[in-house]
Amino acid sequence: MSFCLDTYLQQSDNYEIHASKAGFKDCAMIIRFKADDLVYIKPGDEVLGVRVIGIPPIPIGFDHEKGTVFLPYTKPCHGTSVVELPIDEEEMEKIRKLDTGNKK
Amino acid sequence: MKALVLLGCPETPSQTPLAVYVYNKLTKMGYDTTIAANPAAKKLVKVSDPEDYYHLDLVDLERHLGEIKEGDYDLLVGFVHKDAAASFFVTFDQILQTKSLALVFSRDADEVAEFVSMIEESGSNALITAVRAFHNPSPIKVKFDKAIKEFE
Repeated sequence: MSFCLDTYLQQSDNYEIHASKAGFKDCAMIIRFKADDLVYIKPGDEVLGVRVIGIPPIPIGFDHEKGTVFLPYTKPCHGTSVVELPIDEEEMEKIRKLDTGNKK
Repeated sequence: MKALVLLGCPETPSQTPLAVYVYNKLTKMGYDTTIAANPAAKKLVKVSDPEDYYHLDLVDLERHLGEIKEGDYDLLVGFVHKDAAASFFVTFDQILQTKSLALVFSRDADEVAEFVSMIEESGSNALITAVRAFHNPSPIKVKFDKAIKEFE
């Protein structure tokens, strides 16, 4: 069974919220600041089993030392949060394949 | 022809009556219309039509986001009154790659400008109509009536 972010966030406490109930642009800035490696994806691209919501280019960050990924997570009433959670090499490669290379 | 109406967070009073208004208008224009909303916004719309006069087709916003693909709809209309609503609109717009109309409103003029800029910066070709409004649906209704003529 493939990984599903929604289920993971409900059933695990092994993740960190770096910003919550924020605007998308602030969350994108936090990801760019905290991650040591970035890829940029399109809205609607699927990461960890969910379609990522936001304004393009959407940054997805990695911390290779900790083996974690940073991504924006948006809910209609709660705005956007930055979630950091562990990620394996296989999922990281899937995300890399989505990279548009567009940083602006 | 199929149209999708996206609702945002239901805390804006004018959204629910306008959702029914927009649904009715699009249906009369010949669109097979669907409203996508979160559970609370869906209930507000559903309760507004107790006799099922409008035959409202309501779906869950996040579940529908996981299901849609390019070409599923011929028109997208989005209520954009929060930062998250702008993000959802842009995401649906990019996936569907169809004609789209953003109804941007807020009680705060700076927020109206910010949400418009978010949609524009996304590269969307959406027609954007914007107005300062919150409790009173009339200014948004007037803007919608004018903008929807572009799609007739």
